[in-house]
Amino acid sequence: MKVKLKVKRTDPEKGITGYSQYTLDMHDSATLLDALISAREYEDGSLALRCSCRSAICGSCAMRVDKRARLACRAKVIAITGGDEEHEILVEPMGNMPVIKDLVIDQESFWTKIRQVDPYLQPAGPVPEGEYRVPNEAMLDLTHTMNCIMCGGCVSDCTVLEVDKNFIAPAALAKAYRFAGDPRDGHTVERLQKLSEYGGIWDCTRCNMCVEVCPKGVAPMNRILQLREMAIEAGITNNTGARHTAIFTKSIVDGGRLNEVWMVPGSVGMFNLPRIMTELPGALKMLRAGKLPLAQVIPPGAPGSHKMKGMDRVRNVVRKSAMLKPKKAEVTD
Amino acid sequence: MAMKYAFWPGCVSKGAAPELYIATNRVARELGIELVELDQATCTGAGVIQEQNPELGDALNARTFAMAQQLGLPLMNICSTCQGIESMVQDKLAKNPEYLAKVNEILAEEGLHYEPGLEVKNFLWILVEDFGLDNLKKAVKRPLTGARIGPFYGCYILRPSQLLGKEEHPDRDHYLEMVIEAVGATAVDYEGAKKCCGFPILTINRENSLKQAGNHVHEAQDLGADALVSPCPLCHLNLDAQQPAAKSVTHFDIELPIIHLPQMIGLALGIDPKEMRMDHHVVSTKKLLDKLAQPVPA
Amino acid sequence: MAVYEHDVLVIGGGLAGMRAAIAAQQLGADVAMVSKVHPVRSHSNAAQGGINGPGVGEDGGPWEEHAFETTKASDYLGDQDAITVLAQDGGGEVLQMEHWGVVFSRKPDGRMAVRRFGGMGKARTFFVGAITGQAILHVLYEQLMHPARFQAMRMYEEWFVTSLIVDDGQCRGCVALNIRTGELHAITAKATIVCTGGLGRVYEPSTNALICTGDGIAQAYRVGAPIMDMEMVQIHPTTLKGTGVLITEGARGEGAYLLNKDGERFMQKYAPNMMELASRDVVSRAEQTEIDEGRDVDGCVFLDMRHLGEQLIKERLEEIYEIARDLVNIDIAKELLPILPGVHYIMGGIKTDVDGLTPVPGLYSAGEAACVSVHGANRVGANSLLDTLVFGRRAAEHAVPWLKGKVFRPIPESVVEKDRAMIRGILDRPMDGDRVARIRRDMGVSMSANVGIFRTPERLNKQVEELKALRARYEKVGVEHKGKVFNTDLLFHLELGYMLDCAEMITKSAIERKESRGAHTRLDYPDRNDAEWLKHIVLTKQPDGSEKMSYLPVTITQWQPQERKY
Repeated sequence: MKVKLKVKRTDPEKGITGYSQYTLDMHDSATLLDALISAREYEDGSLALRCSCRSAICGSCAMRVDKRARLACRAKVIAITGGDEEHEILVEPMGNMPVIKDLVIDQESFWTKIRQVDPYLQPAGPVPEGEYRVPNEAMLDLTHTMNCIMCGGCVSDCTVLEVDKNFIAPAALAKAYRFAGDPRDGHTVERLQKLSEYGGIWDCTRCNMCVEVCPKGVAPMNRILQLREMAIEAGITNNTGARHTAIFTKSIVDGGRLNEVWMVPGSVGMFNLPRIMTELPGALKMLRAGKLPLAQVIPPGAPGSHKMKGMDRVRNVVRKSAMLKPKKAEVTD
Repeated sequence: MAMKYAFWPGCVSKGAAPELYIATNRVARELGIELVELDQATCTGAGVIQEQNPELGDALNARTFAMAQQLGLPLMNICSTCQGIESMVQDKLAKNPEYLAKVNEILAEEGLHYEPGLEVKNFLWILVEDFGLDNLKKAVKRPLTGARIGPFYGCYILRPSQLLGKEEHPDRDHYLEMVIEAVGATAVDYEGAKKCCGFPILTINRENSLKQAGNHVHEAQDLGADALVSPCPLCHLNLDAQQPAAKSVTHFDIELPIIHLPQMIGLALGIDPKEMRMDHHVVSTKKLLDKLAQPVPA
Repeated sequence: MAVYEHDVLVIGGGLAGMRAAIAAQQLGADVAMVSKVHPVRSHSNAAQGGINGPGVGEDGGPWEEHAFETTKASDYLGDQDAITVLAQDGGGEVLQMEHWGVVFSRKPDGRMAVRRFGGMGKARTFFVGAITGQAILHVLYEQLMHPARFQAMRMYEEWFVTSLIVDDGQCRGCVALNIRTGELHAITAKATIVCTGGLGRVYEPSTNALICTGDGIAQAYRVGAPIMDMEMVQIHPTTLKGTGVLITEGARGEGAYLLNKDGERFMQKYAPNMMELASRDVVSRAEQTEIDEGRDVDGCVFLDMRHLGEQLIKERLEEIYEIARDLVNIDIAKELLPILPGVHYIMGGIKTDVDGLTPVPGLYSAGEAACVSVHGANRVGANSLLDTLVFGRRAAEHAVPWLKGKVFRPIPESVVEKDRAMIRGILDRPMDGDRVARIRRDMGVSMSANVGIFRTPERLNKQVEELKALRARYEKVGVEHKGKVFNTDLLFHLELGYMLDCAEMITKSAIERKESRGAHTRLDYPDRNDAEWLKHIVLTKQPDGSEKMSYLPVTITQWQPQERKY
C-alpha cells in the first residue's frame, strides 16, 4: 500500500523548522513506525526519531499523529487512514516539551515532575523476611498503573499543562497513585498531603485527554480521581479542591441539583473575601444577563434552600450508597 | 416520525443557563420531538461527587436510568458532562453485575430497577443519529449561510471515546461540524474545539481555568468565527459568562458569542431569537443575530 | 572536551546496569552510568513472563532443584559453580525486588504467586502479569530516582559508547558520543561494568529491540576480552508472525497449546512428558521440523489460548492480548495465534567469573552481554532477569572493594582523538549507492538463513563468505546525514560495525562446534559429544589484531552430564 507522511522537521543546528513529505510503499499491516523507519533508512537519513522495541513496551516512539499523541509502533497505518491511500498522515513531535530535533523531544521536564512525587516505595516499619502479604486485587490494580511506560503521551496532550507549566501532570500523578495505593507503602498520608498542594491532584480539569491518548490503558485521570478520593478520606480537606467537592456534593444531597451560586464561596472558603470579590463583577454581569439563579441564594443545607421534588427518596439513596464502598487493601500478617 | 425521550435537563439549564432549557423545549416542539421531563432525577455528579464518593454517583445515575426505563423511553440530556458521566456509569454497571445487583437493591426501595442497555444520548447525537441530518436540512427555514461558527464539544462527549460509542458511531467527534454545515453555516476548524473549557477548575485554579477559556475563544475569533456553539452548558458558562474575566486574565481582545446547540438549530428553524432567550448571554449575540437578519446571501 | 572521572562506570541502563549502579552506590562508590537510551527504554522491558525465585518460600523451591534444572537445560554446558551462585543468590534478589516495590502477582493468601515455565519441573516463576521485566526495570529506576542516589550519581543519558579505554593493561572507562551534541568525551573510571545486553538485531527477524546490537560484546572483544559460547543463540519458540514480536513463554506456562495445521498437539512427538513446556531449544526445533515438513500454515504453527478463558487472559496475559489485537488483529481468547520460532537471546558473551570480572583488570560485565556461564547451550525461561540482578549486583560488590585506594595514571584527552578521527572518516565518506540499512538487512537475513536453528557446514561456510562481502561493503559505506545533533544515521553505522563483529564470532564458533548441543544443532553432527565438546569455545583478539580460538573446560561440581529428555 502507498503511505503518505507529512513530518514536522526541526533542525536545531540551522535553526529552521518545516515539513518533509514522504510517499512510501509499505505492506498492508505496516505501522506508522515501520513507515517512518523506512523513510529514515531508505529516503532521508537526517530524519530523527526515537524507537526501539516495536511493541509498545519501551515508550520511545510517542509522537503526535494527526494531532494526537500516540505510539508510532502501535499505530497501524490502515487504522489511521481508513484505507485511504491519499490520506496524508501528519506526524509531529509531542507537545508541552521542547524539541531537540525533528520528532525527538527533551523529556527532562517530564522526569522532573516524576521525581517530584517521591517515586519510590517508602515502607513503614521493618522489612519482612519474606514477601509482604497483600491482596492480589491491590497488586492487580497497581499493575495497571505499572503498565505505564513513561512515553509522555499524556503529558504531551495535557490541556492544563498547556496553560500552567507547574502542573505535575498526568504521568507523575499516576505514578504517585502507584505508591499511595500500594499497601506496602507507609507514607500515604504525607504523599496525599503533598499532592493536594498547588499544581497537584486538584489542578486537573478532568478533561479525559490523558485517558484518551494513553496507549497502555493506565487512564491517568482516573488515578487522579482515586487520589482525590483517598485524600478526602484521609481528612486532607483544607483546600479549595476538597471543599469544592464537599459543597458540590452537599448541594446535590440537599437539593438534588447543583447550587451554582454557592460553589465559589463554598470552595474558596466563606471568609475568603478577596477571592470572592474577584467573582463579583462576573456575578453582576450574570445577574444582568438573567444568569444568576435567584432561587439558589439560600446556601445548601440552610432552612429554605432550594429543593427538587422527592428529596426524601434521594436522601435514602445517599444513605444506602455507603454499602457499595469497596474494602481497603492492607498488608496482613 | 414519532420521537419521544425521557428528558434529563441537567442542573445548569435549570439554574444559570435557563435559556438552554427554554430553547431546548422550543426546538424540540418545532422538530416534533416529544420530551418527558424527569423532574425528580438528580444531578449526575458531574465527575465531582465521583471524586469523593463514586458509589453515590453510581446509585444516583442508576436511579435516573431506571426512571427512564420505567417510562420505556430512551434518555436525552443536553450537557456533554451529563453524557460523559452517564456513559461512564453505564459502562461500570454493565461490567459489574454483582455491583449492579447491590445498586438495584437500593433502587428497589422506591420501586425502581435498572437493566443495562438503556439508550442515553445527548441532543447532538439525537439530531444526527435519530432525527437525521437530511431531515434537519429539510426543516431549515433560515439557513445560517455566511455565519462562521466554531464547534466546542466539551470533553465528556468526546472522551474517553471507547465509552462513548466510538466503535458504533465513529463520526461522533465530527457531529458538531456536520450539524453546523447542515444548517448552512461554515464550521471553523480550530484546535481548541476538542479541548477543555476549564470550567471544572474555575473555583480551584481560576487563572488556569480562564486561560483555557480565553485561549480557545481567541483562537476561534482569530480564525474569523462569528460564534462558538456547544452542546455543553458548563462550557457555555466558562466561555460566555466568564469571557470578560478570561479577557482580563489573558489580555486577549476577545468578544465572541457562545451559543447553545439548540439555539443554533432554532435560528435555522426560523424561531425568534427572543423566544430562545438569546439576550440572556453575557457576551452579546447581537452581532451574530444582525448578520443573520440580513437576507441570505446567494 | 572534558575528561570525566568516576570510581565505577556502568555501561547500559537495563536491569543489570541499574542493579550494579545501585549496589555500587550502596557501597559508597562514585558511580556513573552511560546509556544510549534512557534506562526505562532498555530491552529488559521485554522479559514478560517472570523471574525464577529459587529459595523463595515453598513455591520458589530448594535452590538445588533450580540449579539442576538450569544445568540440564544448558545441556551441561553451563558452569555449575556459576549456576550454584545464581540459584543461591537468586531468591534474595527476587525478595529485594519485592521489598523495593515490584507488584508481583499474588495468591489468595497474599503471598507471591508462581507460574510454570519451560524446562522447569514445577511452577517456581514469580511474575507481574505479562510485564515482569518492565515492572522490575521501572522499580529499579524508581530506586535510582531516590534523591540520595539521583543527586550522587552521574547519568550520561543518551550517550553512545564508541570504545572502551584500556591503559596499562587496565580497563579505564570509555569514549562516548553525546548523542544530543555530537561531541565525544572520555568517561574514565577505575572499574567499568559492561551491561549492554544482547545482539539480537544481528538476525532478521528477531524478538529483540532495535537497540540490541551487541555493542558491549564487540567493544570488549576489540580491547582483548575473551568472548565465549557465541555459537549459542537462543531461538524462542513463540514469536508473532510477520513482526517477530515476542509472545511470552508465560502463555504456555498458563497452559497454552502448540498446534500444527492439522490441529495436532505436535509436542507429543518431541517431548511427551513436558509437552509445550519442554526446554526452549527443544520446542523451537520441534516447531521448525513441523514447518519444514509441511505441517504449517504460511510458515507458522499455532499457539492456542482459547481454552484459558477471557478472564485469565486479561488478568495474566493482557500484554499478549493487546499485542495480538493491535498487530495482527487476532482475539486470542477466540482465535489461534500464528507463531514461529525467532531469535531471542545470546547465551554467549563476554567471559566473566562469578563476580562479573573479565580477565582484563577493571573490566566487568553482567547480564546478557556477559557469559558467566550460567546458561550454557540453552537458557531456561525466567532465568535472564535473575542473571541480570544476581551478577549485576555481584560485579559491583566485587569492583568497589577492589578499586578502593587504587590510583591510576590520568587518561589523556588524546584517547578521544582516535575515535574522533574514525567518526570523521565515516562522515567524510561519499555515499556510494549502498546504505547501512541495506547491509544490516542482508546480514540479518543471511544469518537467519545460514546460522539459524539447523546448521550445516555448507550454510555456515556460505555465511563466512557472506560476512566477508558484507564487511567489505561496510568499510566503504557512508552516511547521508552529517549533522551533530541526534545523528542516528551515524549511530546505526557504528552499531552495524559491532553487529558484524558479533556475526563473525557466532559463525566461526558455530563452525568450530562439531556436535549438537542445546541451541546449536548441526545436521552433520546430530548428537551431543561430551567426549570432545564438553567445553567452551573462546575467541580472543590478540594485541597484533589477529584472533585466537581457544577452549575452556566446563566446571562440573555435582551434576554429571546425562541424556537430556523432556
